[in-house]
Amino acid sequence: MAEKMTTQNIQDENDFIPETWVPKAESHGTKDIWQKFWILLGLTLIDIIIYFFPESVLAMPIKAALFIVFGIAKAYYIVGTFMHLKHERVDLIMSILLPIFFIIFFIIWMLQEGNAWFSA
Amino acid sequence: MAQVVTTSKLEKWGGGNSPFRVSWGKLMMWIFLLSDAFTFSALLIAYGALRFSSVAAPVFKIPFGTDLHHKFGHFIETMQHKGIFTPNTWPAPDLVFNHLPFAHGIHLPLIFVSIMTFILIFSSVTMVLAVEAGQRMQKSEVSKYMLMTIVGGFAFLGCQAWEWTQFITEGASLTSNPFGVPDFAAFFFVVTGFHGFHVFSGVVLNIIIYLMNLRSAFDKRGHYEMVEKVGLYWHFVDLVWVFVFTFFYLI
Repeated sequence: MAEKMTTQNIQDENDFIPETWVPKAESHGTKDIWQKFWILLGLTLIDIIIYFFPESVLAMPIKAALFIVFGIAKAYYIVGTFMHLKHERVDLIMSILLPIFFIIFFIIWMLQEGNAWFSA
Repeated sequence: MAQVVTTSKLEKWGGGNSPFRVSWGKLMMWIFLLSDAFTFSALLIAYGALRFSSVAAPVFKIPFGTDLHHKFGHFIETMQHKGIFTPNTWPAPDLVFNHLPFAHGIHLPLIFVSIMTFILIFSSVTMVLAVEAGQRMQKSEVSKYMLMTIVGGFAFLGCQAWEWTQFITEGASLTSNPFGVPDFAAFFFVVTGFHGFHVFSGVVLNIIIYLMNLRSAFDKRGHYEMVEKVGLYWHFVDLVWVFVFTFFYLI
């Protein structure tokens, strides 16, 4: 991997200027893009359908859980395919994703705070 | 490392050749977006915390498509008299955002915001198609898809302006909200406003890229990476909207 990465796109070492170096672009085609578009559209439509289910069929907490799961799925497709992250090096993927996991802790913490204010 | 650093130009980097195999500019865009993600999370989490600390309004369901004027007269005042909208309860989003242009006074929750979501998802697709065309160095295709993305961005901003106008006309502001807790309106304006400002900045960036491409700037440069970087920003705006849609309108 390292071999390929360092020699890519550089014919002459003197041409290499780190600040403006750009890896050679390669297209992954449009098939994947359209597939993800239909998935995103479908997930949004399912969201809307679930939203109009009567409360007696599907209670709000279950609806909310489904909305959040679908939201994360949509985020996965947008970041992975549209933002191309799944084709990047693992180092970059982890640099972006690991900090995001801190947000989960933040959510749990602050929602508990909200509950505490409510009880107070 | 495979390549030994020999020239003075290579020494500038100091840490080996681009360890992430992306350009400097793209890496910076990713780091900026990460910081922006934290900002939006903070806003949405604050919204959640305040919502958890408030009493939810009594459940009041209105059938889809009901003529509100006909059934309730002045809808907001009637709801206030019924005790559904009180200054101490958190309003149910389906009773607040139930308008659609050309269907005044009809109870149509979620429809308008779904249209906005579709617009944004579709403009995200045209953006990624522009990026893909850029990777194949197809200048005219990039132009075409960038133009579609710009139109989508303006359409979304127009929808948001209409929704804000509607909500403000009904008496909502940063400090008042006829539907319930004033914080609900404040959070709505701050979060969708901050997101809308991102959309606006994205549209401006897209227009700049579009004009640069018309002047063959990227053809001359030999690569279309600037389209990819602005594309990353545009997809991030779409990503944030997914969560605004989920937490403000669905739940």
